[in-house]
Amino acid sequence: MASTYRDRTAEFRSLSETLKKIGGITAVHHQQPENDPASAKPLTTTPPAAVAAANSSRSEFNKKASRIGLGIQETSHKISRLAQLAKRSTMFDDPIVEIQELTALIKNDITALNVALSDLQTIQNIEIADGKYSEDRVGHSTAVFDDLKSKLMGATKQLQNVLTTRTEHIKAHENRKQMFSKNALRENPFQHHAKTVTEPPPWSNSSNGDANAQPSALPPIGVQVGSQLRRRLAVENTPSQHMEMSMLQQVVPRQENYAQNRAVALHNVESTISELSGIFTHLATMVAQQGELAIRIDDNMDESLANVEGARSSLLRHLNQISSNRYMQNTMTSG
Amino acid sequence: MALNLRQKQTECIIRMLNLNQPLNATGTANEEVYKILIYDKFCQNILSPLIRVKDLRKHGVTLYFLIDKDRKPVHDVPAVYFVQANQSNVQRIIADASRSLYDSFHLNFSSSIPRPLLEDLASGTLSSDSIQRIAKVHDQYLEFVTLEDNLFSLAQKSSYVQLNDPSAGDREIEEIVERIVTGLFSVLATLAVVPIIRCPRGGPAEMVASALDQRLRDHLLSKNNLFTEGGSFASSFQRPILCIFDRNLELSVAVEHDFRYRPLVHDVLGLRLNRLSVQGEKGGMKSYELDSSDPFWVANGLLEFPEVAVEIEAQLNKYKKDVDEVNRRTGGNDGAEFDGTDLMGNTKHLMNAVNSLPELTERKQVIDKHTNIATVLLSEIKERSLDSYAKKENDMLIKGAIDRNELLGVLRGKGTKMDKLRFAIVYLISLESINQSEVESVEAALKESEVDTSAFQYVKKMKSLNVSMASANSASRNNIVDWAEKIYAVTAGVKNLLSSDRQLALTRTVEALMEGKPNPEIDNYLVFDPRSPKSSSGSSSHLKGPFKEAIVFMIGGGNYVEYGSLQELVQRQQPVRHVIYGTTEILTGVEFIEQLTQLGNKMGFGSSTAAPSH
Repeated sequence: MASTYRDRTAEFRSLSETLKKIGGITAVHHQQPENDPASAKPLTTTPPAAVAAANSSRSEFNKKASRIGLGIQETSHKISRLAQLAKRSTMFDDPIVEIQELTALIKNDITALNVALSDLQTIQNIEIADGKYSEDRVGHSTAVFDDLKSKLMGATKQLQNVLTTRTEHIKAHENRKQMFSKNALRENPFQHHAKTVTEPPPWSNSSNGDANAQPSALPPIGVQVGSQLRRRLAVENTPSQHMEMSMLQQVVPRQENYAQNRAVALHNVESTISELSGIFTHLATMVAQQGELAIRIDDNMDESLANVEGARSSLLRHLNQISSNRYMQNTMTSG
Repeated sequence: MALNLRQKQTECIIRMLNLNQPLNATGTANEEVYKILIYDKFCQNILSPLIRVKDLRKHGVTLYFLIDKDRKPVHDVPAVYFVQANQSNVQRIIADASRSLYDSFHLNFSSSIPRPLLEDLASGTLSSDSIQRIAKVHDQYLEFVTLEDNLFSLAQKSSYVQLNDPSAGDREIEEIVERIVTGLFSVLATLAVVPIIRCPRGGPAEMVASALDQRLRDHLLSKNNLFTEGGSFASSFQRPILCIFDRNLELSVAVEHDFRYRPLVHDVLGLRLNRLSVQGEKGGMKSYELDSSDPFWVANGLLEFPEVAVEIEAQLNKYKKDVDEVNRRTGGNDGAEFDGTDLMGNTKHLMNAVNSLPELTERKQVIDKHTNIATVLLSEIKERSLDSYAKKENDMLIKGAIDRNELLGVLRGKGTKMDKLRFAIVYLISLESINQSEVESVEAALKESEVDTSAFQYVKKMKSLNVSMASANSASRNNIVDWAEKIYAVTAGVKNLLSSDRQLALTRTVEALMEGKPNPEIDNYLVFDPRSPKSSSGSSSHLKGPFKEAIVFMIGGGNYVEYGSLQELVQRQQPVRHVIYGTTEILTGVEFIEQLTQLGNKMGFGSSTAAPSH
């Protein structure tokens, strides 16, 4: 795009050089009153010191904030890679292991970032409590913090979407598999799946609670699988089955193994989604960004408006005075 | 390539917010930098219609302040300043830098900072030893306010008064012309076009046109000019035409009552910078945003008011139907049965419903907003019988005469004092020849209603001097279109209130200029081409050839009536053309009358010779 602005920085710099040379003489001899040395002298000494002192302490917030920002960006990249992997997967060429590893990695990242964010908030609180920060500085830190929170929330949401799509894919693949394979296979994945579950399916509980946060595709799926599982659980949930199952597992044909992996993947994905939704709602309660969506820059003009109003009313009074004089003149002259 | 001024200005501002670094694909700078934005009042008016706070946040702006506000230090953060280049701002910047409020200062001036001020800045920061904090100094050439894609204003107050002031000296006039030229130059720089300039002879239009031409020529000669169009032989088909007019071309438009939605909202309710405050239905003031993101406003802004009400009704019914549809789909299946096949269908419906909820809510909000606005408008219209004003003024301007009793009836009837004054002035302008006794009775009626007649006197004086404000009428009389208007006059009584039948002189002229065919009205208009060498003055044919794009600029004040009229013109044309409309400031009828009143006072009409008021 053609540049539509002019950079005057170079001009400014050369101007300052020129002025420095001209004024350089007076800077040395402070007695000469040319460049107001009385104010210049103390200013030249204090800023560097103040700058240096403030430098070390104040930038910790900034350093941490930029690290977190960078972390969120990297995580976003990973999530898009995950999305691509999930899209690529077909019925037989499913990089389950990769996807699971990547998902775990991303989940850890997000949890770590979450922790880092709360650390950041503690730092901010400490620094504010110290009292050497101006109110503008506090506003700035709060805004940075909110921004990072919302970015993390966005990344979490993105991950959730990817995982949801992935779940749908797996379900679709499963359905297709069921269409092609015989009955024997149909029972097994869920049977084995049921036995590896030591707790009630997490999605059936938490998904109801977070109905707002999660896409509505999830509860029906969860409920559907859950209802089948519960039936099996009720019938066969005894510890002895575990040993039986483990022996069985070794002789299970490769197809069942594959199907079991798929089921495990499904399970993992759904539990991850539920954890994420937990984080999601946690973040959402912290961020209060609703009001900012439609705010204009010239909202909240209360203070300046007050001044304007004051000036305007005094002007109006003045005008009334003038016009009343004129009116009186009018009536007197026109009789 | 349609010129979209709003988009271009927004791009420039976003680039500025990113510290003038290149943007990557997602539209944010590669480096994550949090910054503070500081602006002055003028630049706040530039920014508010274009950028919301959430956009600021997206580009890393955490805090935003007025430069005059008392600000506290935020040490390790860069600050972006976007201010006008004047002495007080420069002093404030020097003070801020001396106090080391921020880590680094990126200064952006809305137009070019003159050399003396730059020197002041340098010496000021040097003496407080804060010059190293000034990271960048930029001229942004953004000194105009864009309200819509094709509507801009220079936000320069009272230019009509200053230019027509009988007591104004040469130097003052030159200063005003200079300011207007600076504003127009910013617009052209942002669009990155060098247009062909045309204007009528004489008056402020010619002054501005030749000054702008000179400015562009000088600029194009300099090394890194801002206009990187390919080659000087680009056919004029690609270059737009810039038509500069003066308000006196057609005074009636600035004064008359119009009955279309957008002009009504602006004139009656006071639309400012795309923002409106009205009394809410439950009491209390409500503030609304009316810009290109409001689909109803965009679609129906040019409709007459009764049609707008009908349209609101239609939208409301459509909304109710859609809500019922959603309810039916989701409410019926309350999830009692969960067999596999139906479930996916249900969930899809549920998902669609959930996804459509935000859209439905938004539609309802828009409908509510316009219902509220229309209700308030309606009560104003009824109270002041604005529909009658609009119709009768339209009749007067078409026919050139009005029945005396009708005239006096209006002046004694409903309406504010300003309404009556405006009506009287439109009457004056529409007259072909001044009927002295009628005029006197009008004046008497005005005085009865205690209306300050300075503006009326001023217009009367101007008319008697045969100033070209009457040209709108006389031109229409002598035109080929004359006979068609006579037919209109006959059937006017039968027609509904359709003020769009009368074409504004401005629109007619712009159409002629864009078409480029010989036309007595515009043949003696001047031509300036800043790209051509000075010797070949504008008789080359390509300079007058048909133009697909035009920028129309009105000196002295414009309004939504003119804007709407130009938009209607381009929608009618085949092939579709494109017009950007701009003015020194957007004025309501009342505001313009106030300027006329000031002029009347300066000329000694009104009660006493007033003190200079700018």
